[in-house]
Amino acid sequence: MANKAPKILVFSTEKISDPAIDLAGLLKMHYPPTVYSIPLRCSSSVKSRWIMHAFEQGFDGVFIAADGTDCSYGESCVDKTAAIIAQTHEMMKAKGIEPARLKMAALCSVCAEPFVKHMKSFYEALSKTPA
Amino acid sequence: MKNKIGVYVCHCGGNISDVVDVNKVREEAEKIGGVAIAKHTIFACADSSQKEIAEDIKNLGLDGIVVASCSPKLHLFTFRAVAERAGLNPYNYVHANIREQSSWAHSDDKKGATEKAIALVRSAVERVSHSVAMEPVSISAKNITTVVGAGVAGMKAAIELADMGSQVYLIEKAHYVGGRTSQWGELFMPGETGKSVVSYLYQEVNKRQNINLFTGAELVSKKGSVGNFEIEVKITPRGIKKDADTSGLEKAIQVCPVEVSDGFNFGITKRKALMNYHPGQFPEIASIDAATCTQCGKCAEVSEAVDLNLEEERITLQTGSLMITTGFDPYEPEKSEFGYGDYDNVITLPQLERYLELNGQDLVVNGKKIRSMAYIYCVGSRQPEGENKYCSRYCCTSAVHSAIKVREKVPEMTVYHINRGIRTYGKQEVLYEKSSKNGDIYIQFNEDTFPEVSRNGKHTVVKVNDILTAGKELEIEPDLVVLVTGMIPRKDNAIGESLKIPRGRDKFYNEIHPKLRPVETTIDGVLIAGVCQGPKNITESVKSSLAAAAKTYSLLKREEITLEPIMATVDSEKCEACDKCTTACPFGAFEFIEENGKKVARVIESNCKGCGMCLPVCPTDAIELSGYTNTEIEGMIDALTESDY
Amino acid sequence: MENEVLTYDALVVGGGIAGEETALNLAKMDYKVLLVEKELSIGGKMILLSKVFPTLDCAACITTPKVSETARHPNITIFTGSEVKGIEKKGERNFEARILRNPRYVKEDACTGCQECEPVCPVVVKDQYQFDLVGRKAVFVPFSIANPRIAAIDIENCSLCGACEKACPSDAIDFSQEPEEKTYQFKSVVVATGYKLFDPIKMPRYGYGKHKNIITSMQMERELAPTRPFNTILRPGDGKMPDNLAYVLCTGSRDHTVGNPICSQVCCMYSIKQAQLLMGALPMADVTIYYLHIRSFGKGFNEFYETAKGMGVEFVKGKIGKISEKENGNLILRYDDIETGQVKEVEHDMVVLSVGILANDEIGQVFKTQKLEFDDYRYVKQIDELKRPAMTNIDGVFVAGAASGPMDIPDSILSAGSASSEAASYLAEVE
Repeated sequence: MANKAPKILVFSTEKISDPAIDLAGLLKMHYPPTVYSIPLRCSSSVKSRWIMHAFEQGFDGVFIAADGTDCSYGESCVDKTAAIIAQTHEMMKAKGIEPARLKMAALCSVCAEPFVKHMKSFYEALSKTPA
Repeated sequence: MKNKIGVYVCHCGGNISDVVDVNKVREEAEKIGGVAIAKHTIFACADSSQKEIAEDIKNLGLDGIVVASCSPKLHLFTFRAVAERAGLNPYNYVHANIREQSSWAHSDDKKGATEKAIALVRSAVERVSHSVAMEPVSISAKNITTVVGAGVAGMKAAIELADMGSQVYLIEKAHYVGGRTSQWGELFMPGETGKSVVSYLYQEVNKRQNINLFTGAELVSKKGSVGNFEIEVKITPRGIKKDADTSGLEKAIQVCPVEVSDGFNFGITKRKALMNYHPGQFPEIASIDAATCTQCGKCAEVSEAVDLNLEEERITLQTGSLMITTGFDPYEPEKSEFGYGDYDNVITLPQLERYLELNGQDLVVNGKKIRSMAYIYCVGSRQPEGENKYCSRYCCTSAVHSAIKVREKVPEMTVYHINRGIRTYGKQEVLYEKSSKNGDIYIQFNEDTFPEVSRNGKHTVVKVNDILTAGKELEIEPDLVVLVTGMIPRKDNAIGESLKIPRGRDKFYNEIHPKLRPVETTIDGVLIAGVCQGPKNITESVKSSLAAAAKTYSLLKREEITLEPIMATVDSEKCEACDKCTTACPFGAFEFIEENGKKVARVIESNCKGCGMCLPVCPTDAIELSGYTNTEIEGMIDALTESDY
Repeated sequence: MENEVLTYDALVVGGGIAGEETALNLAKMDYKVLLVEKELSIGGKMILLSKVFPTLDCAACITTPKVSETARHPNITIFTGSEVKGIEKKGERNFEARILRNPRYVKEDACTGCQECEPVCPVVVKDQYQFDLVGRKAVFVPFSIANPRIAAIDIENCSLCGACEKACPSDAIDFSQEPEEKTYQFKSVVVATGYKLFDPIKMPRYGYGKHKNIITSMQMERELAPTRPFNTILRPGDGKMPDNLAYVLCTGSRDHTVGNPICSQVCCMYSIKQAQLLMGALPMADVTIYYLHIRSFGKGFNEFYETAKGMGVEFVKGKIGKISEKENGNLILRYDDIETGQVKEVEHDMVVLSVGILANDEIGQVFKTQKLEFDDYRYVKQIDELKRPAMTNIDGVFVAGAASGPMDIPDSILSAGSASSEAASYLAEVE
């Protein structure tokens, strides 16, 4: 396990944060290839059980690329997503998973640079944390 | 589970294949259970490749396809159409993004990019194997629009909707149409007055058989959803019998003992409870203001046209959509704000507008001939302390224009414009130029030093630090102070509350997106236009109402609304009717029904937008979103972790 | 082109945001629309912008869905690289228009936009879609989010070497294409030809074109856009990252000396927006905006202006007299400081001219039978602005967006909405 690259699952959103991840590619900004994204309709639709499932299946970190205030379904999604994260953090603690393995940040549709920065620092942090 | 899945891996010229080993991806795809065929292609989007995919679907009887190429934002619809043409349900196609999210992002790591592409294809195959065919949901809709508010925006929208081919109910709370425009005199457009615009629109409304105008009418409740709303409308009678002899009405108005402040003239005159609203009013008949009428009966004694039975009626209307054009209220200054309410020569811009209309060839306020005046701008707008942070948009031009009108009446008038930067944007700039040439004096202050209005004996004194003359403190003693008041949302927000229309930071009704969907709200089928959405001048209001008319008409014209089938569903066995989903849903898409003697939540398809906000809040995990089910998402996660690269 | 349709309900001239919105509205009402765009891609000026005020969402992100919806709609036919040569009104709801389709020298159905042709092309010219900041080849895909996203050959600059023909994997290059002019019938016409940008060369005292580190606001848009040429903000003179930028508002607006007395309505806001974006892109940089009046009048605009002040954007009420260049490429701005009443000089290392917008009056020549009337500023005249804002002097011809006067994107979209409604009413009278 020690030498293995950490795997990160990103829950992005189809209309906002996934385009930012695409843009990072378009601009040839590199980040680790063990970062995978599953685009959802809105970040506040992510279920805790999916996040927990990802950890059980071997993902080292999960990142919620939230919509922020740009969300086309209304601004309430920010608070709702934060509430899901808080709830999942509790579940993680109960299972002995470091809460720092689940992170969230709002990404706008052109936030390619912030996305890459987040991935790099999350990847680094996860590399240092023993599984 | 599907067993005849086709996988197409795209080279994208070299955009993908220069980094990702596409043949390896293809080989790995071929090994996945359920995959019947895996190919690679130079350009999946090219016509020839599209034909090849379609032929494979037909010839091999494929039950699902995966295209691994560029971002789905580019070609999702292309391949959905390919599937459809070949007879495969478009939702049985899944896209894997191996360009933007693999070959391009990881061009520094060919092995890593290839492994990631393989994992992305695996997860797409997993997803497609669980995918279900979905058909767009179609609901019948009534080609009827109810326009709430018969000001210029509402009347114009009604006319255009009727001409395009809709049935229109136009409901107006007051007994007269025209809204705020009817209170305005000469307008910026040469030859136009508030009255001429309102009168033209009213006649056009009346000409059209397919517009039903209700005055004294208020929307009180709404049921149903887009295409099929049912609304209840409260109608306050105007107190005048139809087709009766109205010759005695003038006398009846005289005998009415009630005297209240006249809202039409912004309180500078008085009116009766039985009244003519203003000369040039439409409909032209007098009315009784039920709120102030004491039912004394004196008017009925002199005119048989009066009907003192003022019981309100309720009617129910069926409508496909609702367009809200309820306008604004002018900001009413606080007591003592720049001397308002303290000194009788401190008035507001709307009041000045009424004085100009009522005065004839001079400007006389409270018996005094005005020979010098000072406008103070941004009253109630751009407040550093108060809650109105916004600019009211119309007022700079309107004040400048009123100063030009004043000078036409009284050429020797001295006019000061005490402003915070004149915003006569666009072509309105010429008015500012004209007023400057007229000799108007412009004085500018900033938000640190507001002007002060005080009284020195008989004189009203305005003190201001003028930044145009290096902050020099000036003292002006004008005959009249005009507070250039902005626009605020209607104080009476009953309609907003009953329809649950979201409001922005500025408290005006909020659109979904200022550019993409500027006249739509989060409630499907409820549109907003004119100033209720934010400050605008008349032209801008009319444009926005026509834009809303275009949206409504294209929505309802076919009398059928098609919705994307991505929707939430409730497993009624698991549902405990806890109410959490109804709270989470921003679109009111949940209702409770009885099923097998049990109360359960149900999704109202016409309201569901498929955002999924309800999914995580359900304590029993009873809600799933089609295309994003637990099986699909967790299956994708499993596929992504299959390799231990 | 065998079954080419020659009759449409509406001709929409101009494929910018106003034209697209109008075309889509009409198409959704089941009217058949022909959209004619003279550029190689639809999307107009908006698709080339960075982020847009006051929401700061990226212009491309919000316009590309509309662009692709327009391109995909079954009731809309799009001709890019095409010009309307003449419109004749033959009768009520009967217009005849001659339309010239310029060849791309690339087969539209065959080209996949792979750009394999670009590296082999030996010709380099200025890229008009990057506002001359960088170069492009003679064969080129206009820009990465163009629609259609396919190549075209700029035949005027092409050396006819044939390298692209050899490199093209899908045999899409076709030098045999010829211009094609045909006549089409329409029931109505919508003019959505947008605006032109003021060319600051006309103001020699600013030294644009002479002083290297002065750019226009549109060039700055490109430097800030997600599809930007340099991937960072550079001053063109020496490629240095600027750290003290100045904006000169009202360049070419509110100025009788250049023949444009009116306010362009958008420059204050886009400059404030660019200033905000620059503060993000260059955290150490200072940005000063020289203005006469800040006109942040629209919904959420004044709040946006206040945000910029809060972020540290400097606002100076001053009129710029002359800009001169120092040896190191820095610029000296001589200005009349209105708040102190003094003439001052100040140094900046990059200057952005907030250029105004001007009428695009070329459409005037197109109408042959009845002249299309313009207003005093050469915008298409709205003959009944208050009651029928999209109506022109020719019955059946409507105007949408900035063709009728300066306006921002939200206003253009509303104006397009009004043109759609009025055109639809006009069309409905026939039925």
